[in-house]
Amino acid sequence: MALLLRYTPFLLYVIGSILAVDKNAFKSCEQSSFCRRLRDVKAGESKYELDLASLQISENSVEAKLINTEVEAQFKFSLTAIAGNIFRLQVDEVNPLYPRYRPQYALKAEPQVANALEGEVQPANEDPGAWEENFKSHHDSKPKGPSAVGLDITFPGALRAYGLPEHADQLALRTTGSGGLDPYRLYNLDVFEYEVESTMALYGAVPVVYAHSPKYTVGVFWHNAAETWVDINNSKDGNVMSSLVNLVSGSKSENSVEAHFMSESGVMDLFVFMGPKPKDVVRQYASLTGVAPLPQYFTLAYHQCRWNYNDEDDVTSVVENFDIHDLPVDIIWLDIEYTDGKKYFTWDPIKFAHPDVMINNLTASGRKLVVIIDPHIKRESGYFLHEDALANGYYVKNKDGSVYEGWCWPGSSSYLDFYDPKVVEYYKDLYSLDKFKGTTNDVYIWNDMNEPSVFNGPEVTMPKDCLHYGGWEHRDVHNEYALAHTVGTFQGLLHRSSNKRPFILTRGHFAGSQRYVAMWTGDNAADWSHLAVSYPMCLSEALGGISFCGADVGGFFNNPDVELLQRWYQLDDIRSVKSNVEEPYLFSEDVRNRIRTALRLRYAHLPLWYTLFWEHESTGDPVIRPLFYQYPSDENVFDIDNEVLILAFYRGGSIIPRKDRPRRASSVMHNDPFTLYIALDSKKSASGTLYIDDNESYEYKNSNKYIYVHFTFEDNSLISNLIDKTDFPTKEWIERVIILGPPSDITSAKLTSKSLGTVTLETYYDGEQKSLTIRKPGVSVREPFTIKLF
Amino acid sequence: MEMRFTKNFKLINALLIVFVFVCEILSSEVPRPRGVSLSRASLYPPEKDFTCFDGSKTIPFSQVNDDYCDCPDASDEPGTAACPQGIFHCTNAGHKPLNIAASRVNDGICDCCDGTDEYASGKACQNNCIELGRSAREEAQRKAELIKAGKQLKAELSQKGIQMKQEKQVKLNELQKNKEEAEKLREEKLTLKKEAEELESAALEYYRKLEEEIKKKKAEEEAARNRAEALENFNKFDSNQDGYVDITELQTRQNFDKDRNGEVSEEEAKFFLSEQMQANSSPPAESEDSQGESDDMQDGDEHDDAHEDDEEEEDHEPEHHEEENEEKPTDITYDDETQKLVERATSARNEFYEADKQVKNIVGEIQGIKDYLEKDFGPDEEFAALEGQCFHYEDHEYIYKLCPFEKTSQQPKSGSVETRLGTWGRWDGTETNKYESMMYDKGQSCWNGPQRSTKVRIECGNENKMTSVSEPNRCEYLFDFVSPAACREVPIDVHEELHDEL
Repeated sequence: MALLLRYTPFLLYVIGSILAVDKNAFKSCEQSSFCRRLRDVKAGESKYELDLASLQISENSVEAKLINTEVEAQFKFSLTAIAGNIFRLQVDEVNPLYPRYRPQYALKAEPQVANALEGEVQPANEDPGAWEENFKSHHDSKPKGPSAVGLDITFPGALRAYGLPEHADQLALRTTGSGGLDPYRLYNLDVFEYEVESTMALYGAVPVVYAHSPKYTVGVFWHNAAETWVDINNSKDGNVMSSLVNLVSGSKSENSVEAHFMSESGVMDLFVFMGPKPKDVVRQYASLTGVAPLPQYFTLAYHQCRWNYNDEDDVTSVVENFDIHDLPVDIIWLDIEYTDGKKYFTWDPIKFAHPDVMINNLTASGRKLVVIIDPHIKRESGYFLHEDALANGYYVKNKDGSVYEGWCWPGSSSYLDFYDPKVVEYYKDLYSLDKFKGTTNDVYIWNDMNEPSVFNGPEVTMPKDCLHYGGWEHRDVHNEYALAHTVGTFQGLLHRSSNKRPFILTRGHFAGSQRYVAMWTGDNAADWSHLAVSYPMCLSEALGGISFCGADVGGFFNNPDVELLQRWYQLDDIRSVKSNVEEPYLFSEDVRNRIRTALRLRYAHLPLWYTLFWEHESTGDPVIRPLFYQYPSDENVFDIDNEVLILAFYRGGSIIPRKDRPRRASSVMHNDPFTLYIALDSKKSASGTLYIDDNESYEYKNSNKYIYVHFTFEDNSLISNLIDKTDFPTKEWIERVIILGPPSDITSAKLTSKSLGTVTLETYYDGEQKSLTIRKPGVSVREPFTIKLF
Repeated sequence: MEMRFTKNFKLINALLIVFVFVCEILSSEVPRPRGVSLSRASLYPPEKDFTCFDGSKTIPFSQVNDDYCDCPDASDEPGTAACPQGIFHCTNAGHKPLNIAASRVNDGICDCCDGTDEYASGKACQNNCIELGRSAREEAQRKAELIKAGKQLKAELSQKGIQMKQEKQVKLNELQKNKEEAEKLREEKLTLKKEAEELESAALEYYRKLEEEIKKKKAEEEAARNRAEALENFNKFDSNQDGYVDITELQTRQNFDKDRNGEVSEEEAKFFLSEQMQANSSPPAESEDSQGESDDMQDGDEHDDAHEDDEEEEDHEPEHHEEENEEKPTDITYDDETQKLVERATSARNEFYEADKQVKNIVGEIQGIKDYLEKDFGPDEEFAALEGQCFHYEDHEYIYKLCPFEKTSQQPKSGSVETRLGTWGRWDGTETNKYESMMYDKGQSCWNGPQRSTKVRIECGNENKMTSVSEPNRCEYLFDFVSPAACREVPIDVHEELHDEL
């Protein structure tokens, strides 16, 4: 099942950004005390030794004391085998001054212990920034003093490393190092007008690295939610360091990749995935942090968003205009202006006085609504949410225990502390229909600004010495805040509509976010370079477990010219979660026609995407895949990150189920028939799958109400079979079969199935297309059938 | 082949056939495939094989509307959603017939008021054509009455407009005559001015030479004084009288101690050394000039205050420069005769300027009227009366303003600055009626977006009034405006169409 999307390379070279990120607003490694300290530690100069006398080896684990030879501090070292060819390496202090934080949400469950590697734990030298740190006008008090952890990992034999989303950079990780690139920074930040080709932090953080060579692929997951920097050294880049290592080890310049993880606080907890292939490491990672549950079908269709829709009439007329111009659309998005003065869970009493009527108008034509809910809460007396949060202590606190106040869209705001189970319980209730009045079961949620974004905070986020539930400092939990927020939203939607799969789009994210949300690449720009970088960005997220990744079509900042806009629509696949540009009907007729063609193609392929998402949930395999994933031993593809496997360009050997009848929305396509596209390989065979259920509920899980069809084409016969012994009462049928690169001299076809018996079908060649069409098999997809060519 | 077809059809929906049959009997007496209008029924003779309209293929008639697209032009599937480009016709008896895209057929959403587009989706659509037809007729009736009433008002407006243009034309003719006279006068004054100036110039020649001599003398005296001063200073610093001022000599002088640390460093000394040399090498006149410039700046500030609302600073330099550069009055006095000639020339000049101004004024006025006469106020000048007026519309947040043929704007009720939503651009209606909307473009730019613009939709009404404002697309505003000027007879097609297929 591999299709290939390829876009012409000229796109990559047309780069001319007029936007610029303000780099001074964000720290470099040199400006971050712990990064500076840990980076100074040279490999091979470890002051830590394992006390072999304390070594205890059991069936599944190795435990020992780890001693710092300089200060005689004791640590507990353990190495455990986890089910599925995974190892877990943990180091913690035996007598800690303060307990160290362990992320609460990244792992889907505590890993099951089952039935080698090199690691060096590095100490920190005293640095003036160890006990307090100033950045711009912000002061970080660091009451617990230095607590950074770091680890060097070497992958001998590796040719490339991938991972560490989210960065607006190429897919294969570049060599960083003092004097050159700053380390890849993982610290969720609201970066205004971010730039491409950068290792600067962005909105999300997934601390997983995969090291790859033609022979094997391994990976590591650094289970830590604090600010993290990762230096990468690939010996192919001719770094002095690696040549030294080669000299010392005497190895004959075997390539290797090193990853140096440096986190400001938290526990040292590393998972090692033993591969041996890209598919295996990604699955191993998914076995720990989980997979994306199958989204509702409509979420894969076209979303229209604009900042902003002014009022109810505006929303209604936008949809009308889409219909007038015969452009499909499934979801309309409302940005912050729908609220009453930026108070979430309220509606503007004048512009959105009848939200229920507006929503019913939308759903009457098969559409849905998404509204924004951010984690900052307006500090306005009389606002129920603020009053409740104040009265019950639901807000994040300052280090002195008072409520923390920062600036965001509403002005003075405070931030809900989602680490407190009471807050999550309270928050989840807010989404119920009697609380969030005017919403219906067809309203879904957009969680933005949840890095969290604080306009007047250090690096536009919350001070690190703020306090969360359980006494944890914000520094310990920062990268997990958005995930904790979206867990609350997810529970809220489930609580509200128990048999509808939630849809939440988030900007901030962390390892494990895929279990709850889709993400998008934030406020990108209407620029060719941003269109280009959306490929490696989403591919990297997909390897990091988050397949449901998109970019604003057309960019958020600035307006794209029509050429860029059309290309963006044409290259639009699942990477585009929403479109944030002028509605496509506003453009000239020829532009509009091209966009319509592109959108129809997207809608035609929805069954394929939906099938891939279901397969992702079952196996952990990413929905979008870079070429090295599919062809791990072909070194030519290791650096290709502008192509996504799937769509537009069918690889020989695949069978693609499509819905070629255009409709105004995906929700009204459910009874439409399929056209099967069979692209034969050199052996004149092909195969493919198709997954079908009710597109919205959990019946597929709870009552096995789905069908999973396997198509094979061999020896001039198309055979359709159900893979699982399940059923779903669908009305969908096969209207057409198109064979690409068909056998010659076919004059007719015979279909055989239980309900139809044997019927003769008309066939005809299309000389131009070099294809053979089988006319109207008319058989239901529910029943197995065979079509034999004559 | 026939058998296979029946079987497949049975599989999809056996009920469908019955339903189709019943529907066709009910909707029309002329048998024709579903989704075909009465006027096209003859294109589908059931006793023959069907050939696609584009001639690309011939298929058995049983394959028409069999839910499979055979013809690239969609002609074989007028009643199903099988062809992407297909068109479905609903009769909508009691209301207007409608053509919808085939993609709307059986999609679970009622598009035709007679519900015929949802014959197999399971969606029960109500037939509300009668009600819709009735209210459409009522609406048409109301409009017709409005137009009838409005036509009288429009005629008055039109008369007013024509009259205004006529008056302007009369005025224009008058001005053109005045212009000729004024130009003649200017010619005369110019001749007088030239004569007076020639006499004046000759008389002043003597004094000009005299003045130059005095100036020259003064300059020489000044130079001598400067040299003496420089020498005195030099000798003061040149403590060792070696004919050179060196750094150590300067370092002994506390007044060169820039940083007030009690010592004159080498840098400080060097600084003053070069400063001093510069000062000596520059003529004193320059320092006077720089004094003048700083005055200028002050003037400039005042000037800015007076034009607060202009965002761009005006370049006011030349005006002041002139003043500053004017020669200072010398002490020379003219003899009586010269004085008289100068005065006569001055008054000739003034008279000429006056006459010239008069001509310019008239030319300006003529241009204004010409612009007005060229303005398109509608075929009968019916919109002319709107010019110069402004109309307001308030919503809960803003006051919107429409000043026809000038601009559109928006002002928050809280009273802050007005935002220009557009500047009069052009009539922007359809081909059949260009005067049904106006375009005001080139307004203020939106943040991260385009320039604002406003479309003003004009409909017939019995008064001039703004009735609504919206922003259908970002930074693109839509005003609705009613005016008797827009009342015109439109061919009412309701009756013809209603009877089309009954």
